[in-house]
Amino acid sequence: MSDDYYGHDEDHPSPWGPHDWDHGAPHNSWFPVIMAIGIGIFLLMFARVFSFGEYDFSYLPMVFVGLAVVAAAMIVWWRQDMSFDGTYEPRSSGAPFKSIQIRKVGTWVFLMSEMMIFTALFSTYMRYRFGIPRCDTVFESGDWVEGTAVTCFEPASHLIASSWWHIAPGATNTFALIISSFTIVQALRWAHKPEGSVDEEVRRKRIYRYLGATWCLAALFLTLKMIEWFIGFHVPEIGFLGLQEHEIPSLYSEGYLINNDHYQHHDYIDETGAHMMANIRVSATMFYVTTGTHGFHVLGGLVGLTYLTYKAWTGAYTPQSAVSIEYFGLYWHFVDLIWVLVFPFFYLY
Amino acid sequence: MSNTIFGKDAYWMNFFGLMILTAIEVGAVGSDLSRDTTLTVLSVVAVPKLLMIAAIFMHLWGSEDSRILTLTALFPAFFIIVMVLFIGLTHPDGATGLPAWCRPGTYGL
Repeated sequence: MSDDYYGHDEDHPSPWGPHDWDHGAPHNSWFPVIMAIGIGIFLLMFARVFSFGEYDFSYLPMVFVGLAVVAAAMIVWWRQDMSFDGTYEPRSSGAPFKSIQIRKVGTWVFLMSEMMIFTALFSTYMRYRFGIPRCDTVFESGDWVEGTAVTCFEPASHLIASSWWHIAPGATNTFALIISSFTIVQALRWAHKPEGSVDEEVRRKRIYRYLGATWCLAALFLTLKMIEWFIGFHVPEIGFLGLQEHEIPSLYSEGYLINNDHYQHHDYIDETGAHMMANIRVSATMFYVTTGTHGFHVLGGLVGLTYLTYKAWTGAYTPQSAVSIEYFGLYWHFVDLIWVLVFPFFYLY
Repeated sequence: MSNTIFGKDAYWMNFFGLMILTAIEVGAVGSDLSRDTTLTVLSVVAVPKLLMIAAIFMHLWGSEDSRILTLTALFPAFFIIVMVLFIGLTHPDGATGLPAWCRPGTYGL
């Protein structure tokens, strides 16, 4: 046996990397498993540091041990792949994914684990939504006493879907995500066009413009979410629509907060002037955790899009390297797909 | 992907379809429908939207790998059904009636 280009035996590449891509070495690695063990150590010890409002810093060193294991595993895993030059797309050699790109399968498996996260959030939401009486139902029943907080479910839609202007940021975001899904498949389409069938400069411009448009739509999504949560906005007088000048308050200024146990909605005043007070911690927490988790995914996509757009601007995407856009696109469509469920059930219903 | 829908480009047709369905969603909420009717409309509209995004934009339809990747995508369906149906919808006292071994505080956590 002879040493290969990387200086190690071609049939026995070093477990510390890099892999022997030139000879089609399988992409086997123990380091994802080691990284998972590190994450497990981190989460277990982190939970022990903060236990029922008490701090126990004796577990803190183990938190850092967990993080160190994660970092070390990531570095070695990355080193194993560092010889990959982006042109040879490794394919699975075993059933059931034989001949399919390994990274594509990996992306799908990752997305399905993401699906489990959102399913957990949705099932929790459904449990509480159907298990706790709605605040407006409690108010109408009269089964409340002024000055005493009632624990009830106050859906964010009571505020958000109360008028067209209130719902405008969420509705705009829905259209923005759908348009962004379309722009990213257009970027992929232009990257896939066979060499010679299109001018390379035209290809470069089309790809980075479509990716740039996707970036702008993602930024718009997050901006509107911040406006909806924290800032609110001003609606000017529009005479021909008969619209009066008014303010659309943010959820924050409406008091829709995860720690609010004395929430007062302006609808909850009876004919005697008594005001019902509600403990909305559960409903507000469900809303912010679920939509915030989704928003965090959009933020992650924005970071990825920044890199992709820059790379497209340098003209790096060709039919051979278009898979990067395709795999990122799968993630981005998944984010859109989750919003398809979040929007009607958290914003509209 | 070079599929067509009604002889037109699949991406464009999918895009227009999604825009129309979203407009229906927003319109259903803006109109004076009952809460149950609104939920029904929203649920009915969400299903084709999910399928359209997965099938056309995520290439689960019309690609050579579609079959096995669709099966991969459906793999967590069992767990989703368990969580949504047996925890989300049917478990009585789901928030408070859990057995002691899966409540906070057990195992010192």
